[in-house]
Amino acid sequence: MNSNIWVLMTGDSVAIATTLVLAALGALFTERSGVLNLGVEGILLSSAVSSFLAADASGSIWLGLAVGCLVGAALAGIHGALSVVFRANQIVAGLALVIFGTGLANFLGKPVEGKPVTTTIKPLSFGALSDMPLLGPVVFGHDVVTYLALVLAVASSIYLFRTRPGLELRATGDDPATVDAQGLSVASIRIRYTLFGGVLIGLGGSWLMLAQSAAWHQAATTNGLGWIALALVVFAGWRPVRIVFGAVLFGFTLQLPFTLQAEQITVIPSAVMQMLPYLATLVAMIALSRPGSRNLLGAPRALGQPFVRDER
Amino acid sequence: MGIPVRITFEQRGDAPRRLSLLVPMGSVVAALVFGAVFLLATGYSPLDTYSNMLSGSFATSRGVTDTLALATVLICTGVAAAFAFQMNVYNIGGEGQLYLGLIGAAWAGISLGEHLPSLVMVPLVLAVGALSGAAWIFVPAWVRSRLGTSEIVSTLLLTYVGASLVEYVIYTPGSYFRNPNTPFPQGRLVAASAKLDPFGDSRLYPTIIVSVVVAVALAWVVRRTEYGYRIKVIADSPKAAQYAGISARRTTMSVMLVSGALAGLGGALLVVGPYGKIEPSIVNLGYGYAGIVIAALARNNLAAIVVSAVLFSGLRVGGEKLQITTDTPIHIGVMLQGAILLFALGGEAFRRYRIRIVRTGVAT
Repeated sequence: MNSNIWVLMTGDSVAIATTLVLAALGALFTERSGVLNLGVEGILLSSAVSSFLAADASGSIWLGLAVGCLVGAALAGIHGALSVVFRANQIVAGLALVIFGTGLANFLGKPVEGKPVTTTIKPLSFGALSDMPLLGPVVFGHDVVTYLALVLAVASSIYLFRTRPGLELRATGDDPATVDAQGLSVASIRIRYTLFGGVLIGLGGSWLMLAQSAAWHQAATTNGLGWIALALVVFAGWRPVRIVFGAVLFGFTLQLPFTLQAEQITVIPSAVMQMLPYLATLVAMIALSRPGSRNLLGAPRALGQPFVRDER
Repeated sequence: MGIPVRITFEQRGDAPRRLSLLVPMGSVVAALVFGAVFLLATGYSPLDTYSNMLSGSFATSRGVTDTLALATVLICTGVAAAFAFQMNVYNIGGEGQLYLGLIGAAWAGISLGEHLPSLVMVPLVLAVGALSGAAWIFVPAWVRSRLGTSEIVSTLLLTYVGASLVEYVIYTPGSYFRNPNTPFPQGRLVAASAKLDPFGDSRLYPTIIVSVVVAVALAWVVRRTEYGYRIKVIADSPKAAQYAGISARRTTMSVMLVSGALAGLGGALLVVGPYGKIEPSIVNLGYGYAGIVIAALARNNLAAIVVSAVLFSGLRVGGEKLQITTDTPIHIGVMLQGAILLFALGGEAFRRYRIRIVRTGVAT
């Protein structure tokens, strides 16, 4: 029964969702502080290739993941500096980061393009549990980062809604002037969470490389996952646990074309199937939009706006 | 925190004109310096790299015509981005609209056959391409103006759909757009009357004239017409626009459609110019994305886009030639584009604010 393709597919959807969960959580922390970082796709690509280079050179998965996280933080740092210190247009800064990150990733990845990943993250072994029908591959068939991502989502929810620093974070995104009046530094909070977001996105990118990809390949490695992650934050209403459900759903639509191809079901051309996740995201986004729904959904009220005390 | 100095930003009343020129130029220089450091660190020679790029792009006549040839498309995608950006509407799916322009133009060029003279055919093909680009942005434009759905994400998602569509029409056996006579998947050629000839033995087509005229004409529309004035009022203050009875909904819709049409026109210019068919490799070239950088560097000034597009196209053409002459990866060109934009954004602060370092005396 475990070889049933649909069971395997559900397992794979959970796996693919890992990158989405991590990247979307990273974007969520950043956005909750009021900074809009559209550079997710660029960070994913750069961290993916640098984790590959580090893991390939050292033979250590952990070093690979760590380097990926650091690169994520570094790129997010550029965005943080531009948005918070220089008060640049955050939308354009994020797009610049996508272009810069894509160029950087391709430049660094050129010498190793097509080289297979030898150091990979292996699924954890739960002994007999992993062999259970249905539950085995779906629940017990993953690696440590996937479980970490799920734990992180729950922990983030508790942190955001049940702790003091979480309250400060939400307040910074909603009403920075009040946070400022409390004597806290809006700039410092925003920079810190932008960096933390970068670490999470970097982890997502490195995991995608070291656990999911056969080799570094410029066009196919992330395939727009960064943008789907950003859309996911919107549906999830900026709530961490909802991100997990959304991510599994999108993981499923991303996985579907491959499964159908493997099963040789060719009623629908594969090019049309490839469009599915993007179309599904679009439809869901439209369905969730209503006039004035930004606040209904829970978007941070000061999202994307630089905080300037002197002008108040 | 523990530092006894504070950096203060004082808003400038009016940004000095020289800074409007100095900041973009400074960011190009800064990015080149950054690129040089990066090249050194990764074991390439910056001097060789840059001189090779320069000779491939601006220093030879072949380089110049190749640069202008690429600029033909980049001006279109740049103007497409800037036209929307100036109203704070972020159409970043120009890439996808460009693909649709390519498909639409190829459809017109194939299906209208040889019945029409070139003088009618070429404008018709361009118009169909532009309309296809506009059609591709219709849904994002409609939901953005009605429901407020983020156009940033929606236009981008459609770019991925567009890329699959290009592959579909070329790789599907028996597809209308696929050349039936070649075993290897290739686009079917458009009618000869839908194709223009290049200048002399260069790769530059008269389509460059279309691009420049469109950019200048739109710059005039924005500066001198009532429509342009409406865009400016909405951009500055949506509230004021509402009081003045300007419908933000309708203007948003029309601005986005025009933006999509411009990107589509870029794709159509490729069909009547160098391609003559759908070239599936278009999905890896990123001409639409480059338009975003070009627009941002020109600070959405439609006439300045011509200059920034030529600059970017030079960077790119130079980067591509690099790949042929040396082993330096071509992507240094893309990286430099991103770096220029990042520096330009940082530099904006120096234009808008007077930045001072103030000693606070007491460490807090």
